[in-house]
Amino acid sequence: MNPKEVSGFIVKEGLKSGADEIAAIAAHGTSRQVRFANNEITVTKTWDQTSASILLKKDRRILIASVTDVSEDSIRNALKKLAQTVNIMKPHENYAPLPEGPFEYQTIPSLYDDRIPKLTEKHVDYVEAAINAAVESGAKRVAGTLLATDLESSLATSRNVEGMQKKTTINLVVRALTNGESSGMGITCGTTLRDFDPEKAGGEAGRLARMSLNATSGKSGRYEVVLTRPAAAVFFDIVAGMDSAFYVDAGISCLAEKLGEDVAFDGLTVYDDPRVAGGLGSTPFDDEGNPTERTTIVEGGKLRAYLHNSLTAKKYKTKSTANAGWISPHAWNIVVKEGKHAEKELLEGVKNGLYLNNITYVRFQDYRKGDFSAIIRDGVFKIENGEITKAVKGLRLSDNILHMLQNTTALSKEPKQIAHWWMEFETPSVITPLIRLRDVEFTVPTK
Amino acid sequence: MKDLADFAVEYAVKLGADYAEARMQSDVGDTYILKNGNPEAVGFSRERGLSIRVLVKGGLGFVSINEPDKALAKKRIREAVDMAKASVTVMHKPIRLSAEKTVKKSWEVKPKIRFEDVSAEDKMELLFDIDKTVASPKEIGVSVPYRMLQLVENTTEKYFVNSEGTIISSQIPRVLFFALLTAYEKDKETEQDIIEKGEGRGWEAVEDWRLVDLAKKRAQTLGKILKTAEKAPRKKLDLVLGNYVVGLVVHESVGHPYEADRILGREAAQAGESFISRDMLGKRIGTDVVTVADDPTLPNSYGYYTYDDEGVPAKRRLLIKEGRINEFLHNRETAAELGTSSNAAARASAFNREPIIRMANTFMLPGDRTFEELIEDIQLGVYMKTFGEWNIDDRRYNMRFVGRECYRIEKGRLKSMVRRPVLEITTPGFYSSVDAVDKSLKFEAATCGKGDPMQGMPVWHGGPNVRLRNLRLGGTQ
Repeated sequence: MNPKEVSGFIVKEGLKSGADEIAAIAAHGTSRQVRFANNEITVTKTWDQTSASILLKKDRRILIASVTDVSEDSIRNALKKLAQTVNIMKPHENYAPLPEGPFEYQTIPSLYDDRIPKLTEKHVDYVEAAINAAVESGAKRVAGTLLATDLESSLATSRNVEGMQKKTTINLVVRALTNGESSGMGITCGTTLRDFDPEKAGGEAGRLARMSLNATSGKSGRYEVVLTRPAAAVFFDIVAGMDSAFYVDAGISCLAEKLGEDVAFDGLTVYDDPRVAGGLGSTPFDDEGNPTERTTIVEGGKLRAYLHNSLTAKKYKTKSTANAGWISPHAWNIVVKEGKHAEKELLEGVKNGLYLNNITYVRFQDYRKGDFSAIIRDGVFKIENGEITKAVKGLRLSDNILHMLQNTTALSKEPKQIAHWWMEFETPSVITPLIRLRDVEFTVPTK
Repeated sequence: MKDLADFAVEYAVKLGADYAEARMQSDVGDTYILKNGNPEAVGFSRERGLSIRVLVKGGLGFVSINEPDKALAKKRIREAVDMAKASVTVMHKPIRLSAEKTVKKSWEVKPKIRFEDVSAEDKMELLFDIDKTVASPKEIGVSVPYRMLQLVENTTEKYFVNSEGTIISSQIPRVLFFALLTAYEKDKETEQDIIEKGEGRGWEAVEDWRLVDLAKKRAQTLGKILKTAEKAPRKKLDLVLGNYVVGLVVHESVGHPYEADRILGREAAQAGESFISRDMLGKRIGTDVVTVADDPTLPNSYGYYTYDDEGVPAKRRLLIKEGRINEFLHNRETAAELGTSSNAAARASAFNREPIIRMANTFMLPGDRTFEELIEDIQLGVYMKTFGEWNIDDRRYNMRFVGRECYRIEKGRLKSMVRRPVLEITTPGFYSSVDAVDKSLKFEAATCGKGDPMQGMPVWHGGPNVRLRNLRLGGTQ
């Protein structure tokens, strides 16, 4: 069965099993990955995978199943197990029905490139081009991952909803090293090959790795900071994740009880846009079947909305923002509105600052308050009197999410799409410019 | 699918693979979620599929499928062989695998109480009982408005076959309890704790954990922190780390940097490399009292296995022995590169994941002192019993651990609680400061992340209580 047949079969059989409502997402995809390190390919991978997820609701009770075997027998078994379990569950306090269709879903441009599934051995050429570009820019060793996917998915619900989507993606991350401590990173990603540029990503990684040589130990303290797009993407993924009403409700968000308040710099506007042409997370419908739409999260520094599915919307007495997730709502494409400055202008006026190209290993000591620390790497430089002067090492970003939102001071022009492998809340895509912040805390080891 | 696995290996060899292996893996998992007393959902996951790995002229190819379709398997195996061959054009040194004995074995961890023999109703009821207790300010002494509880049970079945003649079948149940509790006291902000319990056995593990009592105690502690904890001292002091903190420290700063794939640079793109180099075996890294092991064979452990996912028999690995770097964690690829044998660290988290080097149960070995002996001569110190935030850089050199349940030590006695002391230290700085360990040994479960795509792997980490001398706490000034 193809994904449309699978999702249709699940809904038909699910209703027969006595469910009040049922939703199904079925998918089939092929993904190909080439990993490389030390300037050579370490492994090539191909995944050929079918899957189906089932949401069953009965008497205000909610159950979910996922299967990789999408044969009729396997689906019937899953539905039987759900039907047997439903009676012993307790009702959901904020139960809400699935949205009633039918809906008309508008096509989102540039989500499929039929060249991507046919690339096969061409992946090796892309990797070679990235490695060569990094080495030419000064790298000694180059590592990275190229991932290309081709996915067809289908949503069907018992509320007259049917949706189909085909999407391709291609992502390349290049990490260049000049020695163990000096590294740089470049990323190129998208849903089509139009803007995919392995040489540019490799060149960027190599250039930053070369600049990172001879790093000196940084001093703890508060600095003005410029975050490049990959670092900013990791930061705004956290903001987006913490804007999910599920996480607000679970104590995993410092945005709780802040709706309508000034939470950020008044020049900052952040929204979730699931309809971006070529957006890695773009989708015409959410997992409940609602047609997707833009949701403004922060506008002029004010927190405007949480991201909702039907269940969280019921609890918060509002409408779904079409961000389902059956359990937890989540962002599709986070877009940070561009500022007025050229990249170089962001550095102007920074007397004693830091330029950060990558943030990883974010860990919270208090999600509710937003206190966290994180590792910074792949290009950490001192800014002195408006110029990048030297590489620094040994510093750790140790601050607070709300504090950083409020202390953002400027944004650059030219936002670009970033798919980052370290996304705490797994936002598929963040489209962001560079950002400048003041008064950001950094710590160092004491021994 | 076992037949398909056998066929896949034969077919890959026929296509020219110098080595081939196939792994059928089935994961049957049930998840129960309760958030703030509300049953969010019950979820069932049924994953089954086949992966095939081939080595062709030194190039490594991996494919996975989950439809039991011979024609599809043939198509994807051809692709794996072709891609592996193509990759050799961007390769300076062919990949080799260490020579290992072939085995034909079957192993199983049999649960005393099977997950399916306990009703879903009882499982949800347990979560409700925990929630009800933790949500009661009368019982806990503080408000705990945010309560996220999860119970995850999983049974993994594998069938491994390779072109050298090894065939291994296995089955193991695993169960995990997770709780994120947020306590709130007016004008004192919030305090959070994460509880994780996990073992490689059946429902009897959950019964032994006494989760209601455990969650109650941890929640009560959050209240005490909020109400009584003071600022940590800024002077030089001695630090005593609790069992679970030591476990996390050795996991992050010994286990990971001793993974030979990191040492050789294979994980450089994401997870990172290591400050340890291949020529550092035998070098001193800590004091004589520091011995750190990783052992997949601990009975009931969350990281338990008998054979790894390359068919190599599991055994204890002594990573640090009496302060000296003693052994790295190897799979067959890194073992061949470094001229040794695999010590069975290759693990894959699912049927569609490549086996890579992973820890199992990592711990510092205990000594012979009592906890009282550790603190009796400390004039000023801090006892960090549990942790909250932590991280470490990608070379595993610069690490930070923020305490959760912590006490001031004065003149050999535990005194008032201190709030969120920060240990921010280099790895050599840490191990050279350890001067005593006590005789206790406790473990905590975790899901270790590594690889791309990410592979979450069940592990334990643990150790004794450990004393470090003459340090200054770190963090914000």
